Amino acid sequence: MAARTEGIVKAYGTGETRVLALDDVSVDIERGRFTAIMGPSGSGKSTLMHCLAGLDTVTSGRIWVGETEITGLKDKKLTRLRRDSIGFIFQAFNLLPTLNALENITLPMDIAGRKPDKEWLDRVVSTVGLGERLKHRPSQLSGGQQQRVAVARALAARPAIIFGDEPTGNLDSRAGAEVLGFLRRSVDELGQTIVMVTHDPVAAAYADRIVFLADGRIVDEMREPTADRVLDRMRGFDAQGRTS
Amino acid sequence: MSVLKTSLRSFFAHKWRMVLSGMAVVLSVAFVCGTLVFTATMNTTFNALFSVTASNVMIAPAGQDGDAEMEGGGAVTGRPETIPGALVEDVSAIDGVDQVTGVVASTSAVVVDDRNESISPSTGAPTIVSNWSEIDTRSMEVVEGSPPEGDGQVMVDLDTADNNDLALGDDLRLVTAFGDFSVTVSGIAEFEVTNPGAAIFYTDMPRAQEYLLGGTDELTNIYVDSDGRITDEALKGDIAAALGADTYKLQTADEYIEENQDAIGEVLSILEYILLGFAGLALLVGIFLIVNTFSMLVAQRTREIGLMRAIGSSRRQVNRSVLIEALLLGTIASLVGFGVGIGLAVGLMAVMSALGLNLSTEDLTIDWWVPLVGVVLGVLVTVIAAYIPARRAGKISPMAALRDPGMPGDIRAGRIRAGIGATLTVIGLASLLGTATTDDSVGASGLLALGILASLLGLVLVGPALVGLVVRALSVVLLRMFGPVGRLAERNALRNPRRTGATASALMIGLALVAGLSVVGSSMVASATDEIDNALGADYIIQTGNFTPVLPEVSRAIDEAVEGLGEVAPVHQMEGEIEAADGSTEEIWLGASPSSYADAVEMNVAEGDFTDVYEGDAVSVAADWAETAGVGVGDEVTLTFDGGDAAALTVAAVVNTGATMSSAWNVSLETMESHVPEERRALPFVVFATAADGQQEATRAALETAMEPYPQMDVRDQAEYKDLIQSQVGILLNMVYGLLALAIIVAILGVVNTLALSVIERTREIGLTRAIGLSRLQLRAMICMESIVIALFGALVGLGLGMVWGLSGQQILAMEGMEVLEIPWGTIIFVFFGAAVVGLFAALIPAFRAGRMNVLNAIATE
Repeated sequence: MAARTEGIVKAYGTGETRVLALDDVSVDIERGRFTAIMGPSGSGKSTLMHCLAGLDTVTSGRIWVGETEITGLKDKKLTRLRRDSIGFIFQAFNLLPTLNALENITLPMDIAGRKPDKEWLDRVVSTVGLGERLKHRPSQLSGGQQQRVAVARALAARPAIIFGDEPTGNLDSRAGAEVLGFLRRSVDELGQTIVMVTHDPVAAAYADRIVFLADGRIVDEMREPTADRVLDRMRGFDAQGRTS
Repeated sequence: MSVLKTSLRSFFAHKWRMVLSGMAVVLSVAFVCGTLVFTATMNTTFNALFSVTASNVMIAPAGQDGDAEMEGGGAVTGRPETIPGALVEDVSAIDGVDQVTGVVASTSAVVVDDRNESISPSTGAPTIVSNWSEIDTRSMEVVEGSPPEGDGQVMVDLDTADNNDLALGDDLRLVTAFGDFSVTVSGIAEFEVTNPGAAIFYTDMPRAQEYLLGGTDELTNIYVDSDGRITDEALKGDIAAALGADTYKLQTADEYIEENQDAIGEVLSILEYILLGFAGLALLVGIFLIVNTFSMLVAQRTREIGLMRAIGSSRRQVNRSVLIEALLLGTIASLVGFGVGIGLAVGLMAVMSALGLNLSTEDLTIDWWVPLVGVVLGVLVTVIAAYIPARRAGKISPMAALRDPGMPGDIRAGRIRAGIGATLTVIGLASLLGTATTDDSVGASGLLALGILASLLGLVLVGPALVGLVVRALSVVLLRMFGPVGRLAERNALRNPRRTGATASALMIGLALVAGLSVVGSSMVASATDEIDNALGADYIIQTGNFTPVLPEVSRAIDEAVEGLGEVAPVHQMEGEIEAADGSTEEIWLGASPSSYADAVEMNVAEGDFTDVYEGDAVSVAADWAETAGVGVGDEVTLTFDGGDAAALTVAAVVNTGATMSSAWNVSLETMESHVPEERRALPFVVFATAADGQQEATRAALETAMEPYPQMDVRDQAEYKDLIQSQVGILLNMVYGLLALAIIVAILGVVNTLALSVIERTREIGLTRAIGLSRLQLRAMICMESIVIALFGALVGLGLGMVWGLSGQQILAMEGMEVLEIPWGTIIFVFFGAAVVGLFAALIPAFRAGRMNVLNAIATE
């Protein structure tokens, strides 16, 4: 397992106003696979990802990343965990505007004071296809290129697990396909573990497995998805929502 | 939503930022208002004092300036100028005169208590000895014992009694030009109006004449009260007719009050100029702060403003909304500043009271126009400073609403600005260089002023262009070693050169002044030290501690002590007027001394032989005057001694002006004595003693013993004399640094403000870096480093600029004889590293807040 949760609950407020963003969620993230977390807005999918990644704390339950239990860790240790074992790709504003593409890619390792593995870095960079633009600042790159730099950054440090939060949400379909294809390849060819939050069935179809969330609970799971199957399943949820 | 409403909302949404920027306005308005209120209060206070004591007409010796009690009758001669006592009767006979009161007062007496300590105000205010008369009962009340009557009785003012633990029956010694008198405290009197700060001792009239005037029936002042049937003017006319128009100085009460007001005003105006100077400085620094704050607010709101424009706001409306915010800030800050200013004035009054000048808050005088001046000033400055950002806001296109935030800098405007800045800097530096090559000191001062102004303005404008180079250079040395965190800090400092430049400018100004003044100050000390080393032949310098002359009795004691051990050279300093054959004249301070002076102090002689001054009717003249008046050795000049007659003297030597110890103008003691009547001769101001070989220790011991009864005297050897000069300059510099610290505090606020804004602007970036593994500590370190590098940028440019100012300023000093240049590297380096500490300090709060930022919220914004 790359990561695992056991009955996690995330609550906001108390008493009457108490809202459960996550309600007893237990999920396993398999190593070397591409997992997508899907669900309508407010289903808790982003919260789940944030908790898994050590960005947010849970009210109860336990979380492991690799062999390490992260629930109850102090900020210092969490930061180190994120730095050394986790990679991130956000929807937008992934890059520091003051650093060029290459500097952004190596930033997590620089912060950790680790020398990047030159060979691996070259391989990552060439797979992402940024060779020419490594010295460019983010403002000189297109949105798709920026996201590819972000992916490269996430991969470069060889983290145990990469979390993507709607990584293609801001891209047009062609650029989005490029980035998703690249994520797929990094799983197949580099053996990377990836967890991606999305509400786009097309994006989710790139994954090996989809976990469906609604109202803070895991409601379904799908292996080897295709876009059409995902779409059907989503429609099913909508219908359920309307009838219940 | 109306323009006003959006402005109000925005203003209150950013209230903390506004508070920081507003501080600068508050401080400068406070300084201006405080100064105005303080001086007005001082005027009210003294007006009350003088009005109470003045009589309808006052009679004084023709040459006397101001009030004998305030100005010091006999500052040079040790005995006050006098008028005949018989005048009292002459004046009493005049029609319309009700009462005539004679007064004898002197400021050159020394009072010593039974612990052999000199009683004189520590502030440098005079010690006054006077007869107790009708006049004094107008302003004072006897609170203990009784007024002095008869031999050995003195009454002392209550404040002096309190400060020196004096009680009835205490024995004191009164040392004057006429002897050493034992007296006993018979009474204590308290001021009913403000005590002007002097230590005052009263005796009865016969004793005053004995102690202060050597027993003659003379007076220093006569107070004439009319019976009220005649105007002061008319009475003054009648008295003038009876006594002769120009024989004495006659003043009506109004004239007397006005003259004394002016005398006080002169002293006050120095304080006033200094305070207003710092108000100006705070204002200048404040302008940068305000420009910066509003620029950042506008930059932050680019999208919002774009949206406003897109939905139909006009440029003018956007422009106006920013200006209204500035107006609001200016008004609130000015009003607060006015309040703080009153507090400042009260504080200054408390300081004055602690120094012995009792000021009452009952006299607090706030003219109606003071708040007006404060508010107009504060609002004007704020609005002017906000104008540029406002205009920029107006230029934001509606498209900005759709684009990513972050405006590309206006590169063309930046180039024009840098061009103007560079030109001004070059003009400034050229003027400063000109200072070094000009001979004429007035022209040089003008060039210096122009140079300072132009180079300051120039560097402020060119600052952003320098940021790239200087910050990179600083980072190579300081930040790179901190790896990626240092690099991030460097990039952040570089990302908006205009902002970094403006933030650093505020610090730059303060530090440039510090550097300039410290170069000038230490050059002064070095020059004086150098002169002491090279020119001072004497082993000991004997002076009073309070700028009064050396009394005859003391001189005799010195002579006796040194007798047989070495030689003594007293220098009598007095005023005079010199006239060349071509008719050019100059008011001078000259020294009269015995020939031993030529050995005590080696003159820097340009022409002639200084020892010739002591051969017959001769004089040494200053080189710069000799040149302008076309006078050389052997020429005849006319010297009119103050209090004496005109003497035709031959120029024996032309002397370059010295730094501290010596006047270039010298005559022999004999020459002075043959042209000045005895009672008008200046007493020695300083006495030099030179020990014979091997007698140094013995001479010192003999001098110390001889001076024991005269606690007002200080005996110093060369090293101690150097220390004295150093500490005098040091005190002056410390006072200036203290006030400059204020400007630097405002500058720190600027750095805090910029960083706080930057942190908010970079919320998303901070969240991102935290998410990918930057620790809290690293994040805080990054912000501190950015701050330090900004501060060091300001320090580097400021100190560099200041040193150039100092170099030019020293050139002007060199014309006055202070030729040694010394750059106080210790101070400069200390200030430089101090700036780093300041930078660190300024970053603490923003860094702390950034560290506390919730990573999730940071990522989630928008």
